[in-house]
Amino acid sequence: MLGPDPSWYLVVAAILFSIGAFGVLLRRSPLVVLLSIEIMLNGANLALIGFSRVHGDHDGQIFALCVMAVAAAEAVVGLGIIVAMSRRRLTLDVDQFRALRG
Amino acid sequence: MIQGAWLCLLAPLAGAFAITVMGDSIGRRTAGWIATLAVFAGFGGAVAALVGLLGHGEEEREYVSTAWTWLDTGSFQVGLNLVLDPLSATMMLIVTGVGGLIVLYSVGYMDGDDEERRYFAYMALFVFAMLLLVQGGNFLLLLAGWGLVGLASYLLIGFWHERPEAVAAAKKAFVMNAFGDATMALALFVLVWQTGSLAFAESFAGTEEMSSTALNLVALGLLGGAVAKSAQLPLHTWLPDAMEGPTPVSALIHAATMVTAGVYLICRAHPIFEAAPAIQDLAAGIGALTLVVAGLVALVQTDIKRVIAYSTMSQIGYMFLGAGLGAYGFAMFHLMTHAFFKALLFMAAGVVIHHLAGEQDIRQMGGLRRLMPFTFAAFLIGSLALVGIPPLSGFFSKDGILASALDAGAYGYLLFAAGLLGTLLTGLYTFRLFFVVWGGDPSPLVERHAGGGHGRQSERAASRAHGEPHGGEGPWTMLLPVGILAVLAVVGGWLQIPGVWHEFTHWLEPVAEPLVEPSLGQELLTSSLAVGFGLVGVAVAWLFYGARRREAPDARGVRDVLEHKFYFDELYDLAFYRPAVALSALWRRGIEEPLIGGSITGVTLGARRAGTLVGGAQTGYLRSYALAIGFGVVVLTVVFLAVR
Repeated sequence: MLGPDPSWYLVVAAILFSIGAFGVLLRRSPLVVLLSIEIMLNGANLALIGFSRVHGDHDGQIFALCVMAVAAAEAVVGLGIIVAMSRRRLTLDVDQFRALRG
Repeated sequence: MIQGAWLCLLAPLAGAFAITVMGDSIGRRTAGWIATLAVFAGFGGAVAALVGLLGHGEEEREYVSTAWTWLDTGSFQVGLNLVLDPLSATMMLIVTGVGGLIVLYSVGYMDGDDEERRYFAYMALFVFAMLLLVQGGNFLLLLAGWGLVGLASYLLIGFWHERPEAVAAAKKAFVMNAFGDATMALALFVLVWQTGSLAFAESFAGTEEMSSTALNLVALGLLGGAVAKSAQLPLHTWLPDAMEGPTPVSALIHAATMVTAGVYLICRAHPIFEAAPAIQDLAAGIGALTLVVAGLVALVQTDIKRVIAYSTMSQIGYMFLGAGLGAYGFAMFHLMTHAFFKALLFMAAGVVIHHLAGEQDIRQMGGLRRLMPFTFAAFLIGSLALVGIPPLSGFFSKDGILASALDAGAYGYLLFAAGLLGTLLTGLYTFRLFFVVWGGDPSPLVERHAGGGHGRQSERAASRAHGEPHGGEGPWTMLLPVGILAVLAVVGGWLQIPGVWHEFTHWLEPVAEPLVEPSLGQELLTSSLAVGFGLVGVAVAWLFYGARRREAPDARGVRDVLEHKFYFDELYDLAFYRPAVALSALWRRGIEEPLIGGSITGVTLGARRAGTLVGGAQTGYLRSYALAIGFGVVVLTVVFLAVR
C-alpha cells in the first residue's frame, strides 16, 4: 500500500474537524464561522476518503463528492446572508442576533 | 264531535305559529286579529264538541281520541290522546270563550305597544297550553300542559321586559310554579311505578291496589302542583307580583284560566284524592285558610290590580274548599262563574288604568262614576257577583260550595265558618275598592284625564306614549268584551238554581260523582247567611269608604301585618333565599375558590414557572447551542464506547 498508514489520515481529519469546531464555537464573525464550517466539512471529507481507502471501495469517495456539493451550496447561502447583512449595515457579530433567547 | 275537540286544541297553536312565522310581514293589529280568530275558532270547536256530547246519553259521554302512541317503552305506553267528557268540555268552553274575549280586548288594550306581535303569539300559545292541560287524556300530557302554561305565564308576566319588577315577578312565578311541577312529577313517578300507566282510566283503576302511603304520596304531590299553580297558601306569593304583566294577561291567566287549573286537577284526579281522604281534607283546609288570609290582605292593598289578585286567591280558596270536600260540581261551577266575573273586574279595571294613562294606585282615583258610566256599571255587576248578591252568578256558585260544607260533618262546620268569614271579607274589600275608585268627587288625577281626547298610554311610564287620541271610555274592542262578560256574570249562575234545577252539577256527575249533596234546607240557610254576611261587609265598606261617615279604624299592628301580607315574602326570604345565598357563599369561599379555582391557578402558575426556568437555557447565542450539541455528541460517544 502506498503512502502512510490510513490512521494518520484520520488523525489529520480529526485535527481539521476540531479546528473547525472551535472556530465555530469561539469566533464571532459570521464570515469566520462560515470558514470554520467549511474546514469541519473538509475534515469529514478527509475521514470519508480515509475509510474508503481502508475498505478498498469507492463509497466514501462518492460521499465526499456529495459533501463537497453541499458545502458549495452552503457557502453560497451563507455568503449571501452575510452580504445581505453587511448591505443593511448590521453588525457582523453572531452574538448580536439572539432574538430567540428564552 | 271529536274533530271539534282537536280543532279546539290546534287552532290556537296554529295561530301562535302563524304569528311567529310571519313576523314583520304582518301588521301589529293583524297579529291581534289572527290570535282572536284562532281562539274563537277553538271556541267553535269546543261548541261543536259540546253539541256532540249533548247528543249522547249521559253514561256515554266520555271519549278518548288517540292521535298516535307518543312514548312506547315496553309495557309503559303514553299516547297523544285527548279526553272529551263533560269536565274537559266545560273547561274548553271557559278557556276559549273567556280567552277569546280577552284576546279581543287585548287588541284595543295593547294597541300601539312596540312588541304587540310577540304578545299575541304568547297569548295564543297560552291558550293552546291551557287546552292541552284540560284536554290531555293522560297525566303526562296534563303535566306537559301544566308546564307550558307556566312558561306562557312567565313570558307574559315578563312581557314588559325593560321593567325590572316585571322580570323579577316573572322569575318568581316561574320558580314557585316549578316547585309545584316538581312535586307533581314526583307524584306521577310514584303513580307509574305503582300502576304502570298514566292514562286516567287505568291509573284510577290501579289505585285500588296501592298502599295508603303510596296513595297519600301521589295525592300530596298532585296537591302540591295544584297549590302552586292556583296560588294557594303557602305557595301563593307569586300571584300578586304577577300583576306586573299587562292587564289582559292578569284577566286571562291570573284570574280566569291558569290559576284555576289546580281545581281542575283535583276534580280530574278525584279517585286518587278520594282514596287519600287526609289529603282531601288538607286541600279543603288550605282552601279555607287561603280564602280568609287573602281576604284580609286584600283589605289594605292600594293597587287596583293587586286587590283583585288577592280576591282571586280568595275565590280559588273557595273552589279548593269545594273540591276538597268532594263538591266537584260546585267547585267547577264557581270556577266558571268566577272566570266570568273576575275577568270582567280585571278588564273593567284595565279600562280604568288605560283611561288614566297607567295609574294603578286607588288612592289617586275616585269619582270616576260620572266619567265612565259604562265601565262603572260593568264593575258594579262584577263586584256584586263577586260578593254573591242574588241573582248574580257568584251567589249560586259560592253558596253551593258553602252548603256542601254544611253537609260534611264537624270539619265541614269549621270550613263553613271560614267560608262565611270569607264572604264578609269579600263584601268589605270588594266594596272598599269600589267606593274608593268610583265614589266621591273626582280626584285631581281623574280631573286631569276627564277631557276624553287625550293621548293614550298603556300601563305605567315604561310603556310608550301613543299618538292616536280617542274619546269616550275606550275603543270598542275593549268595551265589547266587557259588556259580554257583564251579561255572563249576571246570567251565568242561572244554570244551577237550588230547588229548581241542577243542570251544571248534573252535567258533571258522570265524570266526578260528588261526595256531598246539600239538601235544599242547607242551601237556603247558607244563602241567607252568606248574603247577610256579604251585605254586612258591603255596609261596613260603605260606612268607611262610601259615605265616609267614619274614619276607617287604624290599628297600627294589624295594618302592618296585613300590609306585609302576613310576612310570607319576608319569611321565605329568611327561610330559603338567605340560607341559600349564605350556603353558596360558603361553597364559593370554602370549595370553589381554594380548591377548584386554586388548583387551576396552581397548574398555570407551575407551568409558567417551569417555563421560565427552562427558558433560561435558551440564551440566543448560536455558539452555546453548537457547544451543547457538540458536548452532547461527545457524551453520547463516550457512553456508547463505555457501554460497548
